[in-house]
Amino acid sequence: MNSASPNLTPQECAPGAFLTLENVSKEFVGANQKVDALQPIHLEVKEGEFVVFFGPSGCGKSTLLNLIAGFERPTTGVICVDGKPVLKPGPERLMLFQEHALFPWLDVMDNVLYGLRRHGRFRFRRKARYERAKELLRMVHLEEFEHAWIHELSGGMKQRAALARALAPDPKVLLIDEPFPALDALVRAKLYAELQEILVRTRKTILSVTHDPNEAACLGDRVFVFTGRPGKIKAEIRVDLPRPRDVTDPKVGEFAARIMSELELEKKAGQP
Amino acid sequence: MSSPNGKSTKVYVIGFYVLLFGVWQSLYEFGAIPDYLFPSPLQVARRLWELSTDGLLWPSIKTTLVRMGIGFAVAAAIGLFIGLLMGTSRIVNSCLKSLFLGLQTLPTAAWVPVSLLLFGLKEQGIYFVILMSAMPAVSIATSDGILQIPPLYIRAAKTLGTSAAAMPFTIILPAALPRIVTGIKLGWTLGWHGAVSAELIKSTVGLGYLLYMGRELNDAAQVIGIMVVTIMVGLLLDRFCFGLVEKRIQHRWGLDKEE
Repeated sequence: MNSASPNLTPQECAPGAFLTLENVSKEFVGANQKVDALQPIHLEVKEGEFVVFFGPSGCGKSTLLNLIAGFERPTTGVICVDGKPVLKPGPERLMLFQEHALFPWLDVMDNVLYGLRRHGRFRFRRKARYERAKELLRMVHLEEFEHAWIHELSGGMKQRAALARALAPDPKVLLIDEPFPALDALVRAKLYAELQEILVRTRKTILSVTHDPNEAACLGDRVFVFTGRPGKIKAEIRVDLPRPRDVTDPKVGEFAARIMSELELEKKAGQP
Repeated sequence: MSSPNGKSTKVYVIGFYVLLFGVWQSLYEFGAIPDYLFPSPLQVARRLWELSTDGLLWPSIKTTLVRMGIGFAVAAAIGLFIGLLMGTSRIVNSCLKSLFLGLQTLPTAAWVPVSLLLFGLKEQGIYFVILMSAMPAVSIATSDGILQIPPLYIRAAKTLGTSAAAMPFTIILPAALPRIVTGIKLGWTLGWHGAVSAELIKSTVGLGYLLYMGRELNDAAQVIGIMVVTIMVGLLLDRFCFGLVEKRIQHRWGLDKEE
């Protein structure tokens, strides 16, 4: 995957919202064709907001997350977080992956410490690092498993450990790529509740990607519905339900249905 | 690997060896082959007992193991370093991989004449043979291990703020460790071949030397006995030293679940 002439000129960020996307698009150049992965997007996200990108696979929503994380550079446009342009991956925009991505050569505690060891604020402060890691493990209810190896944890515990590791360096933005897909419904519902609790407590800005409308309605303050080929934002839905929300709540279901109908409309319009 | 009928498999394996030694012993009993060429298992065992009470066997095992320990440590260190370079640079990898794959096809004993030319009968010659036998395998395994690291680990490391300088030791080497250990295990086996081959010609002590001496004295029992000892020592280290480490790492890295 080569990107088509990424604009490498560092661009200034106009003072504005906490996270802004200005005219951001992405094009992949393959061996014999160009793929228009993402059409130009304008987006503003406030601090502490939970934004969900919803859509079918291949609609560019994961690409958008990768751009914000800094794994890839946009073909056009500029992404700004807290007044600074995004140029490369870093812990202020921490990504939580579909798979837990915990390091198997470290135990749970050392995984959480890993990000802190790389963090300027915690350099040379062993005790502070340790306290911080402990606090996070307590928050995700894994304090008894700090010396467990990764393969000894269940699927849900792995995701919670990954969440603790991601929150430890206190990122400004948390990016979640399809949270908890490989887990059963019961564990997921529990993790949604925990995620909301953490969100309320830490007031983190979270951007998440999903293809589950219930998950989108349960977690998001705003849900952006994407359509594929080329990827673009079709609709924005504001979910103004109080937190914490329960996935099984019929009101959440109503919003999920609305989100889904946006997608269905698109499908029908697309057919001759 | 370990099926529910693992226990009955063990019984078969033990039965197989009892049968093997039985056939060997009965071939001898019926005098199918003259006994100065083909000793019985009992004669071999007796000769080994003599060698060990003479104070020849244990010092020889020890000498060979010490040579292997030193030679292989150097080989593994150099192999790891070159493998790391190969794993991080595509150019270095394509150049050296073809060379090392070529060297690996060379029987380890083929390094002995070169070592004689370079070092004469000096001890360093044995280390040289061990190094050349073991190092390519370790390098290739290390670079393959690095090139096959799941990209997810690299992405996770980057998003957690890992600098380019911290990458090799905090992520790349540990992530590639399962394959590196497999390479080290293979390297040890090849180095062991090399060490015994070199001792056949270059040494006055060691397992290879005892083999050579057995042949000089037309002592078939000693030749076969030392072969058995060489196999046993090699097997013991392979299965119980490297094998266990390898298994444990594969388990912890979650690589043993597919099987």
